[in-house]
Amino acid sequence: MTCAKYRSVALATVALIGLPALAQETQEQSPPDPQTAALLERIEQLEAELADLRGVVLQSTETASKAEAAAQDAVDRIAEVQDQTSPAPSYAVSPGMPDTKWHLAGYADVGFVGGDTPGPDSFVSGKFNPALHFQYKDFLLFEGEFEYATTGDGETESELEYSQIDLVLNDHTVLVVGKYLSPIGQFQERLHPSWINKVQGAPAGFGHDGVQPTSDTGVQLRGSIPAGVTRLTYALAVGNGPRTTSEGGVELMGMGSDDNSNKSVGGRIGFFPMPALEVGGSYLTSRVDGIMNPDMPVPAGSGLPLDARFQLWGVDAAYTKGPVAARFEYLKSERGKLFTATDEEPDGVLLPDLKMEAWYGQLSYRLSGFSDSEFIHRLEPVVRYGEFSISGHPELEEENAQNRLNAGLNYWLAPTIVAKAGLEWRDYTVPGVPDETLIQFQLGYGF
Amino acid sequence: MKSCIFPAFTLATILLTGGPAAIAQSGPEETPAAESEADTDPMQDPMQVVRGAKAWNETCSRCHNLRSPSELTDEEWDVSVTHMRVRGNLPASDVRDILAFLQASNNQ
Ligand code: HEC
Repeated sequence: MTCAKYRSVALATVALIGLPALAQETQEQSPPDPQTAALLERIEQLEAELADLRGVVLQSTETASKAEAAAQDAVDRIAEVQDQTSPAPSYAVSPGMPDTKWHLAGYADVGFVGGDTPGPDSFVSGKFNPALHFQYKDFLLFEGEFEYATTGDGETESELEYSQIDLVLNDHTVLVVGKYLSPIGQFQERLHPSWINKVQGAPAGFGHDGVQPTSDTGVQLRGSIPAGVTRLTYALAVGNGPRTTSEGGVELMGMGSDDNSNKSVGGRIGFFPMPALEVGGSYLTSRVDGIMNPDMPVPAGSGLPLDARFQLWGVDAAYTKGPVAARFEYLKSERGKLFTATDEEPDGVLLPDLKMEAWYGQLSYRLSGFSDSEFIHRLEPVVRYGEFSISGHPELEEENAQNRLNAGLNYWLAPTIVAKAGLEWRDYTVPGVPDETLIQFQLGYGF
Repeated sequence: MKSCIFPAFTLATILLTGGPAAIAQSGPEETPAAESEADTDPMQDPMQVVRGAKAWNETCSRCHNLRSPSELTDEEWDVSVTHMRVRGNLPASDVRDILAFLQASNNQ
């Protein structure tokens, strides 16, 4: 059809170019009779039409080359992607889907930790985290994950990591209700599973007992909205919030119920200055209550701070392109003065302001383009450096405050199966606390 | 050759997006379930799988490695991609395209 169209355009062009020349000759010899005048007029019309037509032809040739380039680009990309994953495309028919679909997923890891530490070298049973997802039609998803681990004493520890119902409200918003991984920062929500995390273990301050909340129980509105050339992603959450621990710290995980009527409010906003770079900012505010000793009620009008403000903010950035992944996160939290009972002071103690700050930067590079060797392609060196500082709680500071450097080499057996070998240097910042050097091996599998 | 770009482009698109499958699918006996999958019907939007492949490559490798489409069945991809939509705050249109691509290339 298109070829035929081009042919007629060519014929019309030949005819039209020929005709005006003929007409000109006639005009010079004698004044035009009415018939010739009509013919000349018609020729002028045709000339105008031809000019229009030329414009259209030029335009469509341009569009056609653009379309051809786009198609070629798409063909190249598909070939590239299929090369990476090597499935033979079958484009088979999807049978009618049932209303309820489900998927059993999760991850597990096993490992060994040794080195210059207070404890002996030992094999670690690691974790087994089964996750279940059920989806009703295309608007409701239940997701739940358990974590099982064997403690040093042989006990089995289990924890409900998250258990949430996600309701798709529209193209830009999902309502999440239940216990969810905290959307503050990146590590907890996105990077902690051992098949995703490039280093064995969390950065200092980003695991349990750190600055970063691990989970919360409440509701979230989250999604993505187009914003000019970029896109905003958001997760806004209202939850039970943090709680005072029996050591006088702050526990930042999802509790089954709240201990005060003050809910935590917070979330994260992210955007993409360029497709490979995501930048985010997080904030959380709440109040925490002191723990009451029922045998030692605080007299009314004592003026003691029986609750305190807790605030947390942070920024994060992730650059991921091809074999490179660079990540950075910073979090800072503050809790005001608080009167509370602790394990050491069951009658209650007035704690000073508690401040915690943690950050890390991590760089990994998959050696996929480096040589012809399949073995080298599967290797990925990684380095991570981070600092965790605490003020206002000497015991917590002594135990946790440190500068930590990790250097490791990962070997990817498959996209979700990784063998990690690494060294971890912990430089505790409280004078007198001995530094530690750990040798770590881990095999992680995401399924 | 150049003047025949359009037919070639259309043909490439049909081949790329699983024309044969689409043709096999377009029977009169379409079930309501099949209708609800209309978003991923290659006949309705021939470029969807192509867009999906591109979005998959860009989006799904942000937090972890890409898995081969053949790791999961159509149903499992449906669930998992919804899971990722929530986890990664992904745009719904990308998510639909990616699902179409994964279901079209998983050998199921
Ligand atoms: C924002 C980060 C992020 C992005 C973007 C992302 N994922 Fe994930 N993905 C995760 C995390 C975290 C898990 C582990 C979930 C868990 O164990 O709780 C995961 C798990 C998975 C799993 C295992 C099954 C499951 O549902 O848990 C599959 C399959 C998967 N992702 C595919 C994808 C695909 C396909 C895309 C693109 C549409 C994608 N991911 C984009 C973070 C991400």
